[in-house]
Amino acid sequence: MQRFLDPDVLAGISSLDLLAKTVVDGFVAGLHRSPQSGFSQEFTEYRAYTPGDDLRHVDWNLYARTERCYLKRYRGETNSQLTILLDASNSMQYTSGQPAKQSPPSKIDYARYIAASLCYLAIRNQRDAAGLIVFDDDVREYIRPSTRPGQLARLFAGLERAEPRARTDFAKPLQHFQNFLHRRGIAIIISDFYDAPDNIIRTIAPLRFHGNEVVLFHILDPQELRPVLHRSAILVDLETDRRIEVVPEYTRTSYRAKIDSHIEALRSGAHGAGIDYQLLLTNQPLDAALREYLFLRQADK
Amino acid sequence: MGFLAPWFLAGLAALAVPVFVHLLRRHTATPQPVGSLMFFEPGTQSSRRHRRLKYLLLFALRAALVLLAVLAFANPFIRRATADANSRLLLVVLDNSFSMRAGMRFADAKQQALATLAAKPHTQRAQIISLGGQVEIRTQPISDDTLLRAALQSIQPGDGHASFGELVHAVRALAENVRAPIDLHLFSDMQRTAMPANFADVVLPGNVTLILHSVVKAAPVPNWTIESVQAPAVLADPKDPKRSRVQAVVSGFATLETKKTVALVVNDKVIATRSVDVPANGRATVEFAPLDISYGFNRCAVRIEGGDAFPADDAALFTVHRSDPERVLFVHAADETRSSLYFTSALDAAAQAAFTVQSVAAEQATDLDPAKYAFVVLSDTVVLPSIFEHALEQYVSKGGNVLIALGTSAGHHARIPLWGGNPGEAHDYSRETGPAAVGQVDFTFPALEQSQPGRDNGGWADVKVYYVSTVDPAQSRVAMRLVDGTPLLLDKPIGEGHVLLLASGLENLTNDLPLHPVFVAFVDRAARYLSGSGLLSGSSVVDSFLQLRSTTEPVGTVANVQVIDPDGRRPLSLNEARTIQSFRLERAGFYQIRFANGRDAVIAVNPDRRESDLTPMDQDVQQLWSGAPAAGAAQQSAAAAQLQYRNHSLWWYVMLVALVAALAQAAFSSRYLSTSREEL
Repeated sequence: MQRFLDPDVLAGISSLDLLAKTVVDGFVAGLHRSPQSGFSQEFTEYRAYTPGDDLRHVDWNLYARTERCYLKRYRGETNSQLTILLDASNSMQYTSGQPAKQSPPSKIDYARYIAASLCYLAIRNQRDAAGLIVFDDDVREYIRPSTRPGQLARLFAGLERAEPRARTDFAKPLQHFQNFLHRRGIAIIISDFYDAPDNIIRTIAPLRFHGNEVVLFHILDPQELRPVLHRSAILVDLETDRRIEVVPEYTRTSYRAKIDSHIEALRSGAHGAGIDYQLLLTNQPLDAALREYLFLRQADK
Repeated sequence: MGFLAPWFLAGLAALAVPVFVHLLRRHTATPQPVGSLMFFEPGTQSSRRHRRLKYLLLFALRAALVLLAVLAFANPFIRRATADANSRLLLVVLDNSFSMRAGMRFADAKQQALATLAAKPHTQRAQIISLGGQVEIRTQPISDDTLLRAALQSIQPGDGHASFGELVHAVRALAENVRAPIDLHLFSDMQRTAMPANFADVVLPGNVTLILHSVVKAAPVPNWTIESVQAPAVLADPKDPKRSRVQAVVSGFATLETKKTVALVVNDKVIATRSVDVPANGRATVEFAPLDISYGFNRCAVRIEGGDAFPADDAALFTVHRSDPERVLFVHAADETRSSLYFTSALDAAAQAAFTVQSVAAEQATDLDPAKYAFVVLSDTVVLPSIFEHALEQYVSKGGNVLIALGTSAGHHARIPLWGGNPGEAHDYSRETGPAAVGQVDFTFPALEQSQPGRDNGGWADVKVYYVSTVDPAQSRVAMRLVDGTPLLLDKPIGEGHVLLLASGLENLTNDLPLHPVFVAFVDRAARYLSGSGLLSGSSVVDSFLQLRSTTEPVGTVANVQVIDPDGRRPLSLNEARTIQSFRLERAGFYQIRFANGRDAVIAVNPDRRESDLTPMDQDVQQLWSGAPAAGAAQQSAAAAQLQYRNHSLWWYVMLVALVAALAQAAFSSRYLSTSREEL
């Protein structure tokens, strides 16, 4: 099943619905290897009986075997609200792969896969409300979190329409998000975060103060992390259209140090602000993102 | 190095294409998109340097490809001593004949030969041959330069007569054994007289290339020589006006009319001088008479005084043996005296020797000792007293010679004395088919010797033979035959002596030989042959052979022979002196000989007078012989160089390198292009 989480394989699936179902079903099937595990009523611990406890929770089978009275404790289910903020700026359309070859998808496609899978997982498996905000330097699409029938189709349609354009600006979409925020939930921001880490954290940190669990999914192409340049080349910025000539020696030394420093600053800044950070490369399977969501949802209970 | 098709070099203009593409055309790079330039910094300066280096490599490959393709079409070649040249055999032939003694000819020829030897590749095999009276192979085909030079240095000028015909004959035999291509370098004065009469005799095999190195650069120099000397080998009476005289022929080659002084030298003393006018390029005869000499062997010479360009040939040597007249025993049948008359008359008419004929009937010969006579003649006497016949057998076995003439009486008897065989059926041509003529005549036989016999078979064609006894020719040499093949004159060696058998008579009944002039010459030469006076004195030519002992006697049964050469040295070892049968007279001068039969002789040896004609071959003949397309030594040297250094075309190697350059260029181009597509 793991191969169905591989972005190279998923790139061959055109429908986001089918893609999300493939990913989530494969992911969940991987989690349900033991019958004792489950999401509906989850066993947490045994506790010794004390007077006043409800006798309905006594484990009579255990009492019959051991003549000791213990209570079985379960973790009750609650509904959560998931809002996905998808960066659809021009920089997200970068890919190092060749169209004809089996290679990493573009960052926006990879972000769509993650967003679709998360929505599917939230609505179909967790009965959570899921919403979507597509932004660049402005909010381009807003779908309110909901569990209504057809919500999933609307989310997928919104993702389909999220074609990259313009530049990234976190301030405006996050302000917009706060205006519509009525109850706490989980906010997942999917972006390549080409901005100063301080600026990003400073913009995103207020979401956390409202009791939201905030997750940053940092999407990068492998070539962006470790670029390989055989000869000097003229590079064009997809957002600003600025051109510079770069030598291979630079990409092997200074560039790597800079981007590593950038990631580290982003990771430490996020942790400092109580925000989860996850770096996702477009050639990695999607389960890391799904697992991160489930982990946050569990912690939220 | 050069180009076989240099006009293809015009294709070098195609070099402009890579020059334009790489150096003149503006470089354009395809921009590569990236998500953000946030972490990139420009590196323009180093980038240009890197790009320039890379493009220079590609430019060099492409320019090399064009250059190599053009060079391949221009077909470059190098000249070098190839493996083929090393496989060729260098045959160095140095002429050391008598004519090479003139001026600096031999030194120049040897110098040129050494230079040719020094110029050869060290691995090439060479062979040294000297061309004198004989073709002497001095070395085997070897590549050791030291040995080759030593062999060449050891060659000294000789007295022999060079013959290019003999050289070609030897080279043909050599070419059959070697089988490799041969470069024949001939260093010679290219004497015209060394060429055989028939040019086909000097045609070389196909694998032999002849390069002529003539040492004669200027016009032929004038030269006088003593062409021939006529003198009695044996002289009995110095006052005999008919015999006691010396006639010499002075000959000039490339000379003007001049007066020359000729001297007669006897035992190193000039006893007479004569002045003679020699016409231009002509001959003049000078006579010295009487010849006043002492008893014994006299070493004589006729010498041209004054000298010329070739002083070595100004004298002609000869020896004259003064002795009392030798006696000849003529044994005839009792009723037949005509043969004695004819024979005696003919012998008296001969000028070369002095003999006194003692004529006896066969029945009166019982008490005669043959050893007291120069030779014995048995004329139609097949029945001899047994004592005399035994004495004759002893005489012949010890070196005596007998002439037997078979008359009509031979057919009536069972055997021929001394000869051993039975006479066969007699042919009476007068009754059968008419007189028979003489067919074959061996003019090399001493008794019949003629240097240039005429069309009338040397005078023998008119001789009519009426009666001949058939003789078994076994173990004998047939010197003359009739037209029907019947042997007429035979020579059989017996012991140290010879028996000369005439199958017809010496009178005019069985043939008309005594009536012809050739009879006198025949009797004269036969007498000299039988008496041995022809061997004991007179003169010979260099490289002629002298028979020292009989070939029929076993080795060791007779005494040793002695030879003292002109330098006073003994050229024969003790073993050779005991076994040698013939000796080559290879030096000019006086040889002192003691034969196996105990007789002494002094023989004068002169160089072949053809060597005195220093006129070289015509250039046309030289070109025809060597096959050189143009005249002159320079062209011949160039041809020789062309043979040793062959043009090796390099187009195949250039094409191979061009292919490698094309592949490298394609690989580099492909790599650059793919890199530009895949980056980032």
